[in-house]
Amino acid sequence: CDDFVNVDPLYTRSADNFFRTPTDYQQALTGAYDPMQTSYLDLWIGEIASDNSIAGGEGVTDTEGLHQIDAMTHGGVNNELRSLWRWMYAGVTRTNYIFENRDKLEFDDKARIMGEASFLRGYYYFELVKFFGAVPLIVDRQLPPGEVSSQVRTPATEVYAQIEKDLQAAADALEWTTPVKGRITKGAALALLGKAYLYQNKFTEAATVLDQVINEGGYDLFNNFETMFRVVNEGSKETVFDIEYVGVEGGSYGCFVCLEGFAAVGFHGIRGYDGPVYADGNSYNLPTKDLYDAFESGDPRRDASILDIEAFIAAQEEPGKIKYVTGAGGHTGYYNKKYLKRSDELGLGDNDLTSPVNHKVIRFADVLLMAAEAHNRKPSANDNLALQYLNRVRTRPSVGMAALNLTGTALTEAIYRERRVELAGEGLRFFDLVRTGKAAEEIDGFEAGKHEVFPIPQDEIDLAGADWQQNPKY
Amino acid sequence: QSPVRGRVTDENDQPLPGVNVLIKGTTLGTVTDASGEFRIDNVPADATLQISFIGYTSQELAVNGQSNVAVKLLPDVTSLDEVVVIGYGTTTVKELTGSVAVVNGNDLTALNPVRVEQALQGQAAGVQISAASGSPGAGLNIRIRGFTTNGDNTPLILVDDVPYDEDGLAALNPSDIETINVLKDGTAGIYGVRAANGVILITTKKGKKNAKPTIDFSGYYGVQQTTKRMDLLDAHEYAVLKNETYASGGGTPPFANPNLGKGTDWQDEVFEDAPIQNYNITISGGSEKSRYAIGGSYMNQQGIVGGDKSGYRRYNARVNFTVDILPKLTWENVLLYTNERRDMLPEMGIGSVLFNTINANPAASPWKEDGSYAFLEDVSEVINPLAQMANTFNRNTVNKVVGKQEINYKINDNFEVTGRAGYNYALVDEKQFNPLVYYGANKAQNTAANAALEPNLTKVSDDLSIPVYNNIRETRTTYFNYNFEAFLNYNRTFGVHKIKATLGTSMLGYDNRSLTGTGYNVPYNSNDFADISATESNNYLNNTSSWQDRTRLLSQFVRAEYGYGSKYMLSASVRRDGSTAFGANNRFGYFPAVSGAWVLSEESFFQTSAIQFMKLRASYGVSGNDKIRPNGFLSLLDGEGVYPFDNILANGVAIGRIGNPDLKWETTRQANFGVDLNILQDKVSITADYYVKTTKDLLFQPDISAIVGAYGAGSSTPIINGGTVRNRGLELRIDYHTQLAENLRVNIGYNITTIHNEVIALPPGVDFFEFGSFSVGGGTATRMQVGHPMGYFLGYETDGIYQTQAEIDERGVTQDPATTSPGDLRFVDQDGSKTIDFSGDTDKTRIGSPIPDAIMGLNVGMNFKGIDFSATFYASVGNEILRNYERQLPMSNMLTYNRGRWTGPGSTDEYPRLTTEATRNNVLSDFYIEDGSFVRLKNVQLGYTLPRAIVNRIGASRLRIYVAANNLLTFTKYKGFDPDFSNYDPNVSGIDYGFYPQAKSIMGGLNLTF
Repeated sequence: CDDFVNVDPLYTRSADNFFRTPTDYQQALTGAYDPMQTSYLDLWIGEIASDNSIAGGEGVTDTEGLHQIDAMTHGGVNNELRSLWRWMYAGVTRTNYIFENRDKLEFDDKARIMGEASFLRGYYYFELVKFFGAVPLIVDRQLPPGEVSSQVRTPATEVYAQIEKDLQAAADALEWTTPVKGRITKGAALALLGKAYLYQNKFTEAATVLDQVINEGGYDLFNNFETMFRVVNEGSKETVFDIEYVGVEGGSYGCFVCLEGFAAVGFHGIRGYDGPVYADGNSYNLPTKDLYDAFESGDPRRDASILDIEAFIAAQEEPGKIKYVTGAGGHTGYYNKKYLKRSDELGLGDNDLTSPVNHKVIRFADVLLMAAEAHNRKPSANDNLALQYLNRVRTRPSVGMAALNLTGTALTEAIYRERRVELAGEGLRFFDLVRTGKAAEEIDGFEAGKHEVFPIPQDEIDLAGADWQQNPKY
Repeated sequence: QSPVRGRVTDENDQPLPGVNVLIKGTTLGTVTDASGEFRIDNVPADATLQISFIGYTSQELAVNGQSNVAVKLLPDVTSLDEVVVIGYGTTTVKELTGSVAVVNGNDLTALNPVRVEQALQGQAAGVQISAASGSPGAGLNIRIRGFTTNGDNTPLILVDDVPYDEDGLAALNPSDIETINVLKDGTAGIYGVRAANGVILITTKKGKKNAKPTIDFSGYYGVQQTTKRMDLLDAHEYAVLKNETYASGGGTPPFANPNLGKGTDWQDEVFEDAPIQNYNITISGGSEKSRYAIGGSYMNQQGIVGGDKSGYRRYNARVNFTVDILPKLTWENVLLYTNERRDMLPEMGIGSVLFNTINANPAASPWKEDGSYAFLEDVSEVINPLAQMANTFNRNTVNKVVGKQEINYKINDNFEVTGRAGYNYALVDEKQFNPLVYYGANKAQNTAANAALEPNLTKVSDDLSIPVYNNIRETRTTYFNYNFEAFLNYNRTFGVHKIKATLGTSMLGYDNRSLTGTGYNVPYNSNDFADISATESNNYLNNTSSWQDRTRLLSQFVRAEYGYGSKYMLSASVRRDGSTAFGANNRFGYFPAVSGAWVLSEESFFQTSAIQFMKLRASYGVSGNDKIRPNGFLSLLDGEGVYPFDNILANGVAIGRIGNPDLKWETTRQANFGVDLNILQDKVSITADYYVKTTKDLLFQPDISAIVGAYGAGSSTPIINGGTVRNRGLELRIDYHTQLAENLRVNIGYNITTIHNEVIALPPGVDFFEFGSFSVGGGTATRMQVGHPMGYFLGYETDGIYQTQAEIDERGVTQDPATTSPGDLRFVDQDGSKTIDFSGDTDKTRIGSPIPDAIMGLNVGMNFKGIDFSATFYASVGNEILRNYERQLPMSNMLTYNRGRWTGPGSTDEYPRLTTEATRNNVLSDFYIEDGSFVRLKNVQLGYTLPRAIVNRIGASRLRIYVAANNLLTFTKYKGFDPDFSNYDPNVSGIDYGFYPQAKSIMGGLNLTF
């Protein structure tokens, strides 16, 4: 008789009656891709925390968390870090939802779907461990709210072990190429795996998987450094792992996690700009002179990566008609040209938020430089191969810098320098400095033993109620 | 032995039908007919007749050989034997252990209410009724003993045991009501998980056995006006003050010549005298084995704003039929059909008709020279309210059938079993036509591109734009609930021990579904063609949507009652409820209640002639509130999961709100202590109650740890149980009844309820929740916070007006120098930081509470020969209202208090200067908080019942004519239209967003009985 009150809601897909057709798996996977589209924060913090750029914006309280990170004064109360924590765990949960239900149905395409899901979980955990160090590791199930307080911070090594396992599983399941632009490939999985190894100083393992990407992936450097980041050149041979963005949906400041466009691009835009080529934006994440000066003389990548606004204006036909303003959040005269709002790449609605430009998370040049570093730093170093990879990046036609001939630590330093200029503005610098132990010497205010990881958001510690220890010295 | 005839009348010599007449010591007897007459055959000459009727003092009469007797029954004010409904059973006032307010249907009908709830206002202690809107057909908010929850505070309403929702009460014709019983305390727990907000049991009229058919006709016709007009500036004052406003801000005064006379009184243009009428007819009677009441009614009320554009019309037909199928088996059949039609104008908030009315420029004419509606282009966000009314087409139609079939079988003298099936089916059709209209340049409400009513274009793809024509939106929603109940009652007396028991079960289901469609391009832009069938079937913008939900409740309940003599009574009950609204881990709950009473006046030691009756009562019970959004415990796949593949957005699925299998009802524990007293030879009866009502497990959606994944796109945190609110207070009811002279009877009833509402706890880690909004784009206005009443106002406290620059400079507290000048409000530095903080909350404080300290009702009645007079007052004391209907636009009209604005040092310490400069005068402060106390004469009525001799000539048995007025007088300091309002949401209940005032109506009517 009590069954009278045991009824399911009508015509509603609930989490418990899903996964009945292959389409259900595909749709859940699409849902799991979605949280990647918050990568503007990853890119911003990776630059702003480093010596590459300042926070910028309308004022020093505009996105205050970024200014604190810029000044290395950040603490447990930081909206940007909290958003990152929230969104990456949303991604983890959405992939775990698929794993939790992996045995409900067998079908032809399932291995590919599970492979992509494995990659996504690996990506989300890599973001979490890279920012916060030890984080609670939840795998293959959705965490009921009642179990939060029993979750411990899993040591970073164990989180990395899961990341390696997931990315290897993805690599095993996926093909080098996909007929659908935007889907994760074997190359993306191996490249991210290589990066994960590198972040743990597992150079031998990194060298192996990165060699596999270089030798078997069919990737190549794009023939035009400057235009590589434009929408028209998306999906080029240099693309290893892109987060896809489109500008067709519009969007609002009320929900950044809902955006389908890349928010970084409009935010990087020149404040109050009225002129050719570019478009008005919010002047965030402004490159420093230190970065500008880090380029070797004659390196075309400097002007392809950094816009010197005054020089640009002076070179136009009617400089007097071009206007822009500076924000009280800081001004360097430079803008991040790789991801800069352009008048021919605007999304619908509020186009500060809806850029169609993809986020190139891992491109082939990064793979070559990571491989170079791995071969150079692994116990049985192969500097020849490392140098070959380095020079392949430096001497490609659209860059045309002189080949180097170095070995040992001189080669290591050259690779580090190359990473900075090749990958300037792409959100990698801070984490490169941390993992190579150079952060304290390069970043003002960086305190060794503290700033290698960011603090766990204090509210999250409180809400979990699990007695998590805050990261040291925060 | 010979027949005895007789006639029974009341104290006004009016016939009393249905009176029981019994030969003492026998079961022989009858009841009086419609003329109050009876006849009993074969009466022994020495017999004594017992004459009894509920509500009247019983009489005994020795026949002494008479063949014709006349009996006059006098009302029994104490009504200790009056029946009280307590849920699945009844008791008497004398034996009642809980706290139940009983309101007689006749008392309600006398108030000429359109809806039942209106008449309840001021009639029952502990029951707070306030209008959600004064527009015809609008619902009222019923709150029993305060705000029990931050969620749905509506009590459980059962009409002849069939559940009604608050909206659905509109379908009921007040004159069909026999009685209303309001269960206020823990004993309402017999209704378990639905009882936390109190229970209202309404019984409709049933007819009487052995009665000739009686035809009752009643009707009234009246005219309504607004209870109040706001005091607004006329055109001359407006021009002078606007010139000053602009000049003070360094701008050009807009009016070169301010001598514009009175100008347009927009309230005159918008408010109108609107008719109201209501007619009922009921035929009732019965045979030896059956009784019936069949009736119908028609009600039509037009709006004081917009006439039939905000009108309400109701037809209703009713059959109540009860028959003894077998000697011990009774079948009861209740059937009600209602057809309602309601038209609505935009009301409440920015954009409503009244908002536009009070903010419109009085110097502008409503009409252009060609007779068309003027564009009010000088006040950018205000449109011509007359044009707005003309272009609003918004109609709801309700067809509703409610019924009950009930079988009652008396197994023997002790056992009785009842089974019933009830249903409530409502079909609600909403039709909204949105024509292409143009209110002038840059008006947000424009749907056309220009005055020629050409459509706007919208871009549907890169190379295609299409016109947006007018549209018609139709929604059809069916609300259906059904219930099956069966229960066994046991009743036995062993000497001084009286035992009653009830055991039963109940099943209740709700099945609601809705379908909406919108069609574009109605021909001729005309409401005459406004139907989806007349629109373009292939218009790109056409769309449809639907929803459905079903919820079920399964219950078992048991109650035992014990009485020792008439001195001690004890009652205990427990109900088990299972509901689909709760998570799997908490599907079933148990709700116990105990109560007891001690009649001191029955004790031998109780020897005082001052007190005729005295009873102490106490009760404690647990009840629940199951008004949780359907499926709140489930994780549904309604999150957003969108990602581009091949540059095309693919729609995936993602979990929306995280489920909570532990989700359960809100639990209310209530203790009640009461005393009932009759003094002064039963002329005065007093009932007093003290209650403490604590509701825990309130529902919230606070932040939770993000590791459960609740912060993805379209996702949200689980609904959890956490938080506690407490209401406590006193209720007092005093009734006085006396015969001043032979034909002059007076009765006075007074009741007062105090409510002290306090939030006791919120979910861990949550300091407060914020609600509401103030002004346009303003911040939140109210909070729910521990230690404060729900929905209290948070803002700045003012301390007069800065008179001079020196005062600003020398105060020692910095108040944003850039926006502070002499004439501006001076704010209090709450945190002692020497700076008024306008970006944070540190200088904000509690500046008022929407919850009254006390509500009161006063009912006065007088009868002198055929003349009757009655008056009902209602008062609310000690609540505050946030005035939120003034636009802060440079050219919007203003209330007349601005005449007393600051104009120089010493001019005023109350009203700030007028200027277009940026000031802080518009932040939410106590300047915008007003005392919302009021006293209102709800109803006053003077009637005359024509003498029998005259009435009999037209074949009738009774004719009464009367004049009456509703809401005739209101005493309040509140500047807005009507202080007698509240918003449905308890957390914003006291914000006046531009309330549609209740009408004052004057009417004449008659009651005619054949």
